[in-house]
Amino acid sequence: MLGFTVIANAQTTGQILKKNKLDRFVARPMDDLLDTLSVNYGLRFVFERDSLHRYDVVERFFNEPLNKVLAKVCRQFDLHYWVDASGAIYILQDVDDLARLKQIAATIKPLPPPVKTVTAQADTTDEQDVEALYDKDGKRKREVSRKRAQPQALAVQKPVEPLPSPPENKVHLLVTVSGKVINQSSGEPLPSATVRVHDTPLSVSTNSDGAFTIFRVPSDTCTLDISFSGFQPYSFKLDPGKLVLPLVLGLYPSLSTLNEVTILGQKSGVMNTDVKKVGVLQLSPANLDKLPSLGEKDVMRAFQLMPGVGATNESSSGAYVRGGTPDQNLVVFDGFTIYQVDHLYGFFSAFNSNAIKDLQLFKGGFSAQYGGRLSSVTEINGKEGNKNNTIFGVDLSLLSVNAFMETPVTSNSSLVLAIRRSYQGPFYDKIFKQFNTSSGFSGGPGGPGGGPGGFGEQTTPASHFYDANIRYTNHLDQNDILTWSFYSGSDKTDNSRQLQLPSFLGSGTAPDITDYTKYGNLASSLKWFRQWNSSVYSNTYLTYSSYFNNRERGTTGGYTDDEGQEQSFSTSTVEKNNLYDIGIKSDWVWTMQNQLKLKYGVFASRQHINYDYVQNDTSHLINQHNTALLGGLFAELEYDPTNTLHLQPGIRMTQFGPTGRFYAEPRFSASYVLNDNYTLKFATGQFYQFMNEVTRDDIADGNRQFWVLSNNSSIPVGRSRHLMGGISYENDQFLLDIEGYYKWLNGLTQYTITQTGFGPGRGTPAIQEDFYSGTGRAKGIEVLLQKKLGNYTGWLSYTLADAENKFAVYGTNFYPADQDIRHEFKAINMYHYSRWNFAAVFIFSTGHPYTAPLSTYSITNADGTRQTYFNVSGKNAERLPDYHRLDLSATYDLLKINGDKIGSIGLSLFNVYNHVNTWYREYYLQNNAAVTTNVNYLGFTPNITLSLRWK
Amino acid sequence: MEIRKQTFTIIAFLTFLFISLHSCKKDGASAVSLPVVQAYLYGGQAITVKLYQQKSLTDTAKYGSPIIGQQLSISDGSNTISLSETAKGVYTYADTTFLAAGKTYTLSFQYLGKTVSAQTVMPQKTQLFATQHSTVNYVYGSAPDIKPDTLNKFTWDNPDSLGHVIVFNNLDGNNFPLAGRGGFGQQSNAFEYDTEGKSVFYVVSNSFPYYGNYQVTLLSANKEYIDLLKSNTIGANSQNLLNTPTNVVNGIGIFTALQADTLSFIVYNR
Repeated sequence: MLGFTVIANAQTTGQILKKNKLDRFVARPMDDLLDTLSVNYGLRFVFERDSLHRYDVVERFFNEPLNKVLAKVCRQFDLHYWVDASGAIYILQDVDDLARLKQIAATIKPLPPPVKTVTAQADTTDEQDVEALYDKDGKRKREVSRKRAQPQALAVQKPVEPLPSPPENKVHLLVTVSGKVINQSSGEPLPSATVRVHDTPLSVSTNSDGAFTIFRVPSDTCTLDISFSGFQPYSFKLDPGKLVLPLVLGLYPSLSTLNEVTILGQKSGVMNTDVKKVGVLQLSPANLDKLPSLGEKDVMRAFQLMPGVGATNESSSGAYVRGGTPDQNLVVFDGFTIYQVDHLYGFFSAFNSNAIKDLQLFKGGFSAQYGGRLSSVTEINGKEGNKNNTIFGVDLSLLSVNAFMETPVTSNSSLVLAIRRSYQGPFYDKIFKQFNTSSGFSGGPGGPGGGPGGFGEQTTPASHFYDANIRYTNHLDQNDILTWSFYSGSDKTDNSRQLQLPSFLGSGTAPDITDYTKYGNLASSLKWFRQWNSSVYSNTYLTYSSYFNNRERGTTGGYTDDEGQEQSFSTSTVEKNNLYDIGIKSDWVWTMQNQLKLKYGVFASRQHINYDYVQNDTSHLINQHNTALLGGLFAELEYDPTNTLHLQPGIRMTQFGPTGRFYAEPRFSASYVLNDNYTLKFATGQFYQFMNEVTRDDIADGNRQFWVLSNNSSIPVGRSRHLMGGISYENDQFLLDIEGYYKWLNGLTQYTITQTGFGPGRGTPAIQEDFYSGTGRAKGIEVLLQKKLGNYTGWLSYTLADAENKFAVYGTNFYPADQDIRHEFKAINMYHYSRWNFAAVFIFSTGHPYTAPLSTYSITNADGTRQTYFNVSGKNAERLPDYHRLDLSATYDLLKINGDKIGSIGLSLFNVYNHVNTWYREYYLQNNAAVTTNVNYLGFTPNITLSLRWK
Repeated sequence: MEIRKQTFTIIAFLTFLFISLHSCKKDGASAVSLPVVQAYLYGGQAITVKLYQQKSLTDTAKYGSPIIGQQLSISDGSNTISLSETAKGVYTYADTTFLAAGKTYTLSFQYLGKTVSAQTVMPQKTQLFATQHSTVNYVYGSAPDIKPDTLNKFTWDNPDSLGHVIVFNNLDGNNFPLAGRGGFGQQSNAFEYDTEGKSVFYVVSNSFPYYGNYQVTLLSANKEYIDLLKSNTIGANSQNLLNTPTNVVNGIGIFTALQADTLSFIVYNR
């Protein structure tokens, strides 16, 4: 395959290092040794002669391969060697030297083709070709050495047999070039890599399977420039006559400690850019360990550092995007929808970064390919796994242990396995308690509340979360790939305990309370990728996703009454919410011309939701069983009438069973490149949502959240309209991106189920269901200023926003929505020094709105009892204090001698100056007066992480 | 020139956005001065309306200060009567014939420059209020066989599913908890249940709190009272706090009409 020629240089170097052996005594300066190796084996070394000349190598090598020789020598002097994509071997005193050495090496003429040696008994050097080089300041003299291979007396050398030269091919004009970009070291495809035809405006991005097609390439002797963040850029010269085979273009990873910003607003001109997308954030989890983290590298938390995504909801890893709520954000993992997106009351996202290849967050105005949510889409693609080697890894933190394996199974299939489990150390307990101590607690999907005036819980509940990812990829043939992906994650809490009996009940057996809570997801998908021809490919998915949120409580016990009689009692409640989502969808992409691409597809799904609330096995308080069939199709055109203008109209049609109606969602986005620095962009569209996450208020035991389907009556189908536009400016160092948006929402649902009558004198247990529906609007401006390169990188993000709702139950005016944040400022600073990475993240935001009591009043009820009520401010009329915190982290990379990263050690400090951030306020009456207590977010919390990788 | 024009456009756009984001401020500060009205108009009885001020959040007094010196009037559509202040903040009207079923009553008075008003309809008196048992001997696990754990059944005529509240007033004043559900906590002697528009109320051992000699009153109640009953302040927090429902305009509290019918019911243990 042609791919071979692309990576031939680096691979040849690797083979030379592996196959050739050194069997002799060496006693000479290191630069001298490298010169010898260079001459004898046709290797190209780049190093600083001054520095290495000081090191004397005195060593007896016993028939050792050259890579071992290099490793041994480098280790002795605390050096690293690094083979770049061109095959040159860099000898580094410090990993940061690479960039400088590369710069110097680039000024030297390229070498003639390498020489392949058969045996090795190298001795002296002959013709040296040394160039004197100068620093920028021109003072200190350095030498970079190159050796030209010459026949040696003792070495039997012959020139490498050149690759069979292609038969005389005619140069073809205006050809179609298609192929695939892969990570050369693992064999995995690289999505969103840029392939550019040299010296032309032709440029494409690879799709999620790494594939690309370019039409009308001027000739089949052009050069392709391939680049992707985190990888060494590569140029590949097309070869007439070999274009009949699909190209496989392999990129080598950059030296891992090179600091690069991995979170990109994928806008005009940023590395790995696609100017054609509006409001898109892209993230690859590989370098997440350079940001502060609490226990786990968290992909969803990382998104929160970008403009337009709320960063101050510690109790939800879900994305609050541009005034939207987490349930308005569609989360798709390998084609299936994830309904429970976080663990541990929202503190951690449910996604294991070790199992993820890349993520994209569409902040609005998204493509017709996605639907079913009002606000945004998060698309997550699982790792395909290393096709060349088996890799093991483990991440340890004070919170959890995370282990993974990537392995080739057969020559054309690979497997990824990743498992995470928390352990209940002090760190876990701290977070658990923080989010689980108050009576009116909300924001998590449920759990034991234990409100004030309870019975004095004596035990800490046993609680943990776990998740597992399995992904098997099989390249059936050159055009077909079958992928099976499995995800399972859950949180379990066992709060079973013994009650202390109130004294007036006399003595007796203390009641046993059993209390189990379990919630999470189980999901799987089967995906078939097929490349039908060079211009058409399809992805077809069979998906299954289930969500569960179950709680079982029981009390059994006995006591001796006043008259000495043994009495016993038993009560139980079971509350179950289960959602089953089975779907099929097929997405097609037809690249008609460079300027014209058609995306289209069909989808169908069946959602079934059970919601049971049963008391004492017999009394069904809630007994809902709803099913929805949903189906539709979409089509979208990507059209570039000129090199600077991109138009993307689309339409999505959905038929939703329960309402029996068709829903049409027109979408449109466009971008216009003003010049090399400026790009304008725009998007608009209509979006529908057919299910909602709702909250059941539970005073005593904590609120619980459930999914419900829209219907024809009380729960309307939600609709939103987006209008977004922006301008970005970019040069080599900086990116400035400004976007504005306006969203109209209607058919919003607030659905509360309040249970009454669960105490003495409060009546028969009953459930009151309240459906409120309303409208909303959101608007805002986002500014991102990013420094892209250098030892110091990072970005400043500022968002001015406004999100309002109008629900008749709260009055006739718009009021600030719960998630409304006026100003949000985020400063992400990363500094790279040698093998250290330091990060400082500062977040400031206006406080969340809240509703406060202004006064109280008491009246006597008809039964003669006195009741005190709150007179309440307007809905969300007050603001909590401003939220701010500083997180710091330091990470030390563990490197092998050849520059491969094998792990890292990190220290993270969360909320360094221990600022008290208020989550919400609780009110209760004591002695006729209203008492307010603050429920706060997490204070200063340190954490240590250790990551290790093995090949 | 072109650049200056562009810059101006951008600045104008940003200014517009900023202004539009900062418009629409609201204030709810005057809400604390609204008067608290408490009035239950029982058919065929004299009228008592109480007026209080609201209490500050830290006030530990049981009730707010009475509002004195007000001119209250109630109209039934054709006649308007004036109430006289018989105690501080307590306004009464002694004629028991004024309140009759089916009529709409409107309270009105001026307070701090605003007209405070409230309206209610006197419900019809409920017919056929009956109890299945007048006395029940209850030992845990030995309930009469109406249905498991059911001690007694009250019934009344309610073909239109109107709202009713059933009030139990423990004349003994003792709180001996029924065993069935443990009966934790100290409750007041009187308690009431919303009957949710039904024509039957079951006294169930696992929710009925105490032994005792009860006066049981069935109140035909309007929606405004049932709404008030359903709301409570327990477990309130800044994420779920709602204003207590009220039918008083420019005020808070309750102004509602009720019709009452009373029975007796005794629960004892041997």
